[in-house]
Amino acid sequence: MRIRYFHTEGFRLSAIYALVFALSAFSIGAVVLLINRHALRDQIIQSSSTDLEAMQRAYDQEGIREVREVIGQLKGAPGASELFLLQKDGQRIAGNLPAVSPQLGVVELRPSAQRARVLGVGRNLAPGLYVFSGSELTHVRRVQEQIQQTLLWAFLAALLLSAVGGVLVSRSFLSRTDAMARACRAIMDGNLKARLPVRGTRDELDRLAATVNEMLDRIAVLMENLGQVTNDIAHDLRTPVTHLRQRLEYGRRDSADPIKSEAAFDAAIEKTDEILAMFAALLRIVQIEGGGRRAAFTPLGITALLEQLRDMFVPVAEAANHSIFLETGEDATVNGDRALLVQLFSNLIENAILHTPDGTAIWLRLVHPAPGKVAVIVADDGPGVPREEQSKIFRRLYRREASRTTPGYGLGLSVVAAIADLHGAKVEIEPASRGLSVRVTFETAAS
Amino acid sequence: MKRQQTGKRTLRLLLIEDDRETSAFVTEALEGRGYEVERSFDGADGLAMAEADNYDALVVDRMLPSMDGLTLVQLLRAHGRHVPVLLLTTMSGLNDRVEGLEGGADDYLAKPFATAELLARVTAIVRRTNGDAMRLTVGDLELDLFNRIAQRNGKHVDLQPQEFRLLAYLVRNAGRVVTRAMLLEHVWDLQFDPRTNIVETHISRLRGKVDRGFSSELIHTIRGAGYMLRAD
Repeated sequence: MRIRYFHTEGFRLSAIYALVFALSAFSIGAVVLLINRHALRDQIIQSSSTDLEAMQRAYDQEGIREVREVIGQLKGAPGASELFLLQKDGQRIAGNLPAVSPQLGVVELRPSAQRARVLGVGRNLAPGLYVFSGSELTHVRRVQEQIQQTLLWAFLAALLLSAVGGVLVSRSFLSRTDAMARACRAIMDGNLKARLPVRGTRDELDRLAATVNEMLDRIAVLMENLGQVTNDIAHDLRTPVTHLRQRLEYGRRDSADPIKSEAAFDAAIEKTDEILAMFAALLRIVQIEGGGRRAAFTPLGITALLEQLRDMFVPVAEAANHSIFLETGEDATVNGDRALLVQLFSNLIENAILHTPDGTAIWLRLVHPAPGKVAVIVADDGPGVPREEQSKIFRRLYRREASRTTPGYGLGLSVVAAIADLHGAKVEIEPASRGLSVRVTFETAAS
Repeated sequence: MKRQQTGKRTLRLLLIEDDRETSAFVTEALEGRGYEVERSFDGADGLAMAEADNYDALVVDRMLPSMDGLTLVQLLRAHGRHVPVLLLTTMSGLNDRVEGLEGGADDYLAKPFATAELLARVTAIVRRTNGDAMRLTVGDLELDLFNRIAQRNGKHVDLQPQEFRLLAYLVRNAGRVVTRAMLLEHVWDLQFDPRTNIVETHISRLRGKVDRGFSSELIHTIRGAGYMLRAD
């Protein structure tokens, strides 16, 4: 479990930050130490030079005795850490350092193996009279060590903080991904209503979760549709299959009477065809909804399409004592699948023929409701569909009580809806004073 | 049993269908109509048989083991074989028709089908003749496909465009049964089954123009199968 933190993005990021921080802290520390060392040494050299100036002045004015006096004062000052040496011809005559071979300028001495190194300045007050003033470097070293220690602690604290931060960040990251994984597993286990948790922070994980949730919603709708269709099929198939069975039983019962049994078997075959046609229509809806046909869309003239439909249905309508009128104005072009659009309008026209009484008139109208849009209206002056039923008639396998006796399986308008959807067209039932008026609105093809 | 013959030879068909039940059913139907039927149950095997022999037509299932029917037809055409092919497809495949015809099949039939439908389609492809002629004659009916003019007994018959297409299809298949589905596909290019009697009403109108007022009828209804244009 613990090892998982190292595999999370949060931890990886914290580790990278910690490393970058450590490197920059190191270089800053090194620079600080270097500058500090220089500053401390400069200070020692500065104060040593000042001391030597004072001694030189004392010697020039009062001679060697006065120099010894000055050294005594400086040495005895409260908190003084300076070291001095005054020697004449290699013999120490004052100060708290052993005699050395005289070196001029800035000098670093090591008075003895046990003592710390001394930094200072040497000068000759007069030929053979050498004076040195300096300080032990222990002070510098102590300050440097303190700075180093401070830096080290700060560094360790920062490392610890970034590690803790990394673990916390990855734990929060992990807890969220774990929650998502749990939600997914719940969905796999059958709780289709489960959704990925969203915190509302609009960060990457939230956006991902929201997108996945939208996808799940869409899938849920499709599943629901599918379930609905399965139910409908099971329900609607029962009737024709029961009828089929009855016909077959009649056929066997009447086997002695060839005319009767033949009629029964013919009826059975007809029922079978009806069932198969229902399956074919359902499969077609599924195929249309799959959207694969969109690739084969071509520009189509609406007027020519409507003329073809009128010519196709005029004999049918007249045989049923209906009349068809075509009203077109300016032609329009839409991108579409010709065979499917013929099916769409055929279904609407057939409904108008099949579900209305003798003498009904049917209109096919081409209208231009807005720039870039074209609508085809299939209207009739029959009895119409009650308002409360209008939203239902596009449902799969929905059949109005009134139309139970006419041919069809309640799929015609579902096919219409599926084809319109494929074409990005909108199907609406228009408010009409008489009859049913269905309007299909397309985007016109840019030409 | 009436033999399907050209000259003295019985017409031989090759049925390539892996489902044994369908195969037996189709074979029985075709043999009942007087064809001699050989069978294959596998795509690659069927292709080999078709290339090794001269059949009068092939009936090929779309879905076959080892090689699907469409590929089989494509290979057959690629190898320069022009034997007529009827492709059997699954129910209502939207693209089956286009794919099948583009792949080189002469016609396609969606399963499940009625026996009469199968027989009509096989007969239509086996005897596909004068398909490209521009002038067709049956009895005293003359059709000029180029100028879209129909005459009966020397008298002009005035036809709407769809009526002319319908008559032309009947004339091209004169002496053979054409089914309702064949007409819907070939005359109106419909790829679905309409719920209204489009075919029946158009035929009735056509009869009014072609047959009414003449001594003999050319357009005959074949019960349980379809229509036939025939000069008695």
